[in-house]
Amino acid sequence: MSEKITLTVNGTKRSVEIDGWERLLDVLRDKLDLTGAKRGCDDVACGACTVVVNGEAKKSCSLPAKRCDGAEIVTIEGLASGTEVHPIQQALIEAGAVQCGYCTPGIVMSLYALFTKNLNASEDEIEDVLEGHLCRCTGYEAIWEGALLAQKLLKKNKKK
Amino acid sequence: MEFKYVGKSITRPDAVKKITGKAIFLNDIKLPGMLHAAILRPDYAHAKILSIDTSAAEKCEGVVKVVTGRGCKILYGDNIRDLVPMAVDKVRYIGEPLAAVIAENPYQAKQALKEIKVEYEPLPVLTDALQALEKDAVLVHENSGDYWHLPGLGPIQGTNIANLYKLKKGDAEKGFKDADVVVEAEFNYPHGSSCAIEPHGAIAWFHEDKTIECWSSSICPFIIREELARVYGRPSSDVRVHIPELGGCFGYKSDITVEQTVAYIASFVPGRPVKWVASRREDFTSTLLGHGIRTRMKIGAKKDGRLTAMETRVYHSTGAYADTGIHVCIAAGHNSAGAYEIPNCDLQAYLMYTNQPAVGAYRGYGHQESQFATERMMDMLARKLKMDPFELRAKNYLGPGKKTAVGETLCEVNGDVTKCVDIVKKAIYGKKQEKKEDDKYFYGRGFAALMKTPKGAPNSAKGCYLKFNQDGSVCINMGGAEVGQGLRTVVQQVAAECLMIPPERIKVYTEIDTQFSPWEWQTIGSMFTTQGGRAVVRCCEKAIKMMKKTAAQALRVDLDMLDYNGKCVYLKNDPTVNVPLEGLVYGYMYPNGMTVGEVVQSSDAARLPRYSNPDENGQGTMGVSHTFGAQGCEIRIDKETGEVLVDHFASAFDVGRVINARQIRGQVAGGVMMALGATLHEELKFDKDGKMLNPFMKKYRFPTIKNRPKKQTIEFVETPETIGPFGARGIGEHPVIGVAPSILNAIYDATGIEFTQIPVTPEKMKEALKARK
Repeated sequence: MSEKITLTVNGTKRSVEIDGWERLLDVLRDKLDLTGAKRGCDDVACGACTVVVNGEAKKSCSLPAKRCDGAEIVTIEGLASGTEVHPIQQALIEAGAVQCGYCTPGIVMSLYALFTKNLNASEDEIEDVLEGHLCRCTGYEAIWEGALLAQKLLKKNKKK
Repeated sequence: MEFKYVGKSITRPDAVKKITGKAIFLNDIKLPGMLHAAILRPDYAHAKILSIDTSAAEKCEGVVKVVTGRGCKILYGDNIRDLVPMAVDKVRYIGEPLAAVIAENPYQAKQALKEIKVEYEPLPVLTDALQALEKDAVLVHENSGDYWHLPGLGPIQGTNIANLYKLKKGDAEKGFKDADVVVEAEFNYPHGSSCAIEPHGAIAWFHEDKTIECWSSSICPFIIREELARVYGRPSSDVRVHIPELGGCFGYKSDITVEQTVAYIASFVPGRPVKWVASRREDFTSTLLGHGIRTRMKIGAKKDGRLTAMETRVYHSTGAYADTGIHVCIAAGHNSAGAYEIPNCDLQAYLMYTNQPAVGAYRGYGHQESQFATERMMDMLARKLKMDPFELRAKNYLGPGKKTAVGETLCEVNGDVTKCVDIVKKAIYGKKQEKKEDDKYFYGRGFAALMKTPKGAPNSAKGCYLKFNQDGSVCINMGGAEVGQGLRTVVQQVAAECLMIPPERIKVYTEIDTQFSPWEWQTIGSMFTTQGGRAVVRCCEKAIKMMKKTAAQALRVDLDMLDYNGKCVYLKNDPTVNVPLEGLVYGYMYPNGMTVGEVVQSSDAARLPRYSNPDENGQGTMGVSHTFGAQGCEIRIDKETGEVLVDHFASAFDVGRVINARQIRGQVAGGVMMALGATLHEELKFDKDGKMLNPFMKKYRFPTIKNRPKKQTIEFVETPETIGPFGARGIGEHPVIGVAPSILNAIYDATGIEFTQIPVTPEKMKEALKARK
């Protein structure tokens, strides 16, 4: 049974026909051509599909698309402005947290949701968020450093 | 030697595309008219197929075609041609392709799959190499003796032995007679998955003009090309393989795997591309596994600690098809001698067919499995000899003038294990251990030395195309697969150093396309920096020579009067007489427009020198380039939960030359974490019927950020080697090798418990602690 839902994605209002079973990840990737969010697992373990829905980081592979009708969604494609990458992206690059890059967009989006809500998040809170993201390349060391650097950069930007 | 670009932490050229979500991976590719395939997997791990009824599935909405293996004559494989794209008369493992539905969208394909009805006649199931070796064991392949295979290896007809590798050095029997002390034990490194976050996938497209096109999440485009060409009777030049960005590999995307199945399916709908992407469950059950290796080892030594003999028996549960596991097994055999010179070796490796998914490459390639045994046994031997384990090891390390198990004599350029040992010893054992135990924890420290050789085909070259552009910038095109390891940065830095041009003016290729890319065998064995880097050096030298030749004509001087500085070619005795690069790259143009000289684009390749197949005693030059290292750790064991917590992990490798400081640290930190996963968390479990019990990331217990070591010491020794660029050698796989033995040695140090199997999960630790009381 197909139905129509409306999403505001990266600031643009978009209507899309969906089938009842479809998950947000399928809709974003297959119908809206936003392929930055990735599929990596089937049990909400890896976090590669993370996008921000109404300010909250969500694993879009398990989220029914029809529950997102009317929602405000930010995906990895909505973060950089022109050729200027977001400070979180800058920080992760500087820390060497990008290797194969498959898990990276999801990590960026989770940190974006966290720091947008609470720029003073504690190290424990940051670690709790990152625990939901699996990475096979880095051993997490550079991701951890990148996350702390991102917080620092964002705080510095805010002071300006 | 002073370097301008080598050794610096320049940022990887693909970072921005990846972090903005714009890098294109296999599953991001859409092609006009593209169809989608779903693949049926059997209910049994070993059964005769009596019938497959596809009639109901064919009538489902969106279904274009239903495919089975009935009558399929295709056999493929690089070493032993025992693989089939789809089960024909029987199924041999639980994840085997049995039938496929091609439909307009993936959902329709999956729905229709449920309508296929299969009748089976179940057969006995083998889930372990030792079981497969039993006299009356059921045969996984009844006619394995008929399979084509490379000379010098292959299955033994009428058994489940897919290959038996034997290495003889000296006289092991005599060596054991001469020994004052002998230790013996069996170790098990169970099945695991490389488990990259990006699952396997492929697209195949049989065009109406009989050319074939394929996209794959693979690291071996040219092997796919050659094998598809052979199977479908086309010239290689009619097959075009594209490799987009890869979301990690760690071994299991090497060798041709899912591509033959997807191509077979797509061959039924010529004219339309067919895409298939593995679910995570399929990625576990139906692509390559790692390990599955039991090692029985016996070591003899004199009272003073000198080793006299080693006997190793490797039993490899390689799964239903042996093509991809064979060299893992052989590597486990001859590398079981580890970082030591052992005068008498009797090493045998049994490659056994079982009813499990095929084992293939996994970062470390046989080394961590058998050196897990070696390094645990060095500690056991030291205890028996009442000797300091560092002293025992030091008496036996390989080094200049020493002979490896395969009979190669090492030189200084092969690296220095003792320098690595010293670094790790200082980091882990530098200060006195504060306590062995408190209310909550046991504390322990452990150590392991290691050695790794590359593994490839003797002709496994890597090619390079280099071209200068009008403005003096450079484009480099190679066939090496970037899986995250950072080889693009290596190419950029090596070329920058050679050409004396800043890295930002050197553009390195993104995707691989067999139509445009130079030939590369496959990107495996931690060999890209060494071999690929050498190919880059050769291309750069050729390009500089071309520019000098043109400048010699233009300036009317002899070639040896000229030098090059990255900006121009100039007269040595008067640099004001020069021609800038821009005036040379497309030839030199005289004021009247007449032009002379070559267009500056060069091509070259590099392979490992004198790398050979082993002789009948397993002797040869199978190493050529060695990397030595050492690893150690400080751990805590939670008395209540049984959890092993890694407080500090230290690694040191003799890498010859660090090309990119930040990247090489990332490689080691990631490798250590991956092996910590195997040591403490991960295991793919099978029941007695061959069903995989935990093909999910959560149940496989893939480690998270909270499992990382609290501190990692990562240092490098730089004894330059002669093959790699500026002395560099491989490092990609090495960080996994010493992890399991050093952690288990530390567990013994903390508790006196002698684990010989991994993973040591909290449950197993708790049980062992309880049994000890």
